[in-house]
Amino acid sequence: MNNTDIFMNNLPLFIPLILLEVILDVAALVHIFRHKNYRVGNRLLWVLLTLLFNPIGAILYFIIGRETY
Amino acid sequence: MRNTWFFIRKESLESLRSYHLLIIAIVFIIFGIEGPLMAKLTPDILKMASSSSFTIKMPDPTSIDAWQQYYKNMTQIGIFVLVVIFSGTVSGEVSRGTLVNLVTKGLSRYSIIIAKYFVAYMQWCFAILITFLINWAYTAYYFPDNKTPNVWSGMSLLIIFGLMFVAVTIFGSTLSNSNYMGFLTAVVVFIILTLLNLFKEFKHYNPIALVTDNMSLIKGTKQIDTIMPAIWITIVSSIVIIYLAILILNKKRL
Repeated sequence: MNNTDIFMNNLPLFIPLILLEVILDVAALVHIFRHKNYRVGNRLLWVLLTLLFNPIGAILYFIIGRETY
Repeated sequence: MRNTWFFIRKESLESLRSYHLLIIAIVFIIFGIEGPLMAKLTPDILKMASSSSFTIKMPDPTSIDAWQQYYKNMTQIGIFVLVVIFSGTVSGEVSRGTLVNLVTKGLSRYSIIIAKYFVAYMQWCFAILITFLINWAYTAYYFPDNKTPNVWSGMSLLIIFGLMFVAVTIFGSTLSNSNYMGFLTAVVVFIILTLLNLFKEFKHYNPIALVTDNMSLIKGTKQIDTIMPAIWITIVSSIVIIYLAILILNKKRL
C-alpha cells in the first residue's frame, strides 16, 4: 500500500478538503491583489504565506493582515 | 428592540463582508472532514511506518475514533479559533470610533452588546453544527457501528458551553481597547476552569465538564443528568457576564 493507493481509497474525503483549501486561497489572493495596504506585512509576504502554508496563511491574512478601514 | 434588530443586521453583514463567515465555514468544514479521515488513515500510516521486522497491530477504526477526533479538534482548537475571530468585536469598534455616531443618534448601549452577543453566538452554533453534521455523515458512511448511541448529547453540550464562552469573550472585549483582550480573557477563564476541575467538590458544577465529558456521554457510559448542575451554572453565568459587559460599556468613553 503506497501513498497513491491511500489517496485513491479515500477520495470522498480528500476531494472536498482540496476544494475548500483552493477556495480559501483564491479568496485570499484576490483580496491581496485588490488592496495595496495591509495592517501587517506587504504583498509579497502575504502571497507567499497564502501559497506555502495551507490553509493557515489565508486565515491569518483575513484575521490580522487585512486592512480594516 | 428595533435598534437591537438593526444592529443585529449590521453585525451579520459585517461578519459576511469581513470574511469571518467564510473563514468559519471553511475551517469547520475541514475539521468535520478531518475526524473520520484521521480515524480511517491512522492504521495505514502506522502500517507504512512499521518495517517488516516489527509490525504494530492496530484494531480496526470505529466510530468512537472519529468522534474522539471531532471533540479533540473542537475543544482544543475549534473554540479558540472562534474566540480569536470574535475577540475584537467591541474593542475594535471602540478604538476605531465607529460607535460614536450611532450612540449619539439614539442607539442604546445595551443593544450593542446584545446584538453582538447574539450574532457571535449564532456563528458559534453554525460552526459547531456544520462540523457535527459533516462528521456525522462521514462516520455513518464509513463506520456503521452502534458504539456511539448518543451523538446528539455530546454536541448539544458544546452549543450550551458557547453561551458562556462567547459571553466571556464579549466581556473581555469591552474591558479594553486592545483587540486581543477578548481572546486573553477567554483563555484565562478556560485555564481557571480547568484548574478548578482538579478539586472533586467542584466537578459537578464546573462548566468545563461540558467540553470534557462529551466522549463518555456519546458512548453512553455517562448520563446527561450527572452534569445538569454544570449546565445550569453555565446558562446563569452567561446572563450575569453579559449584564456585566453592558454595565462596563455604559461607563466607557466611546
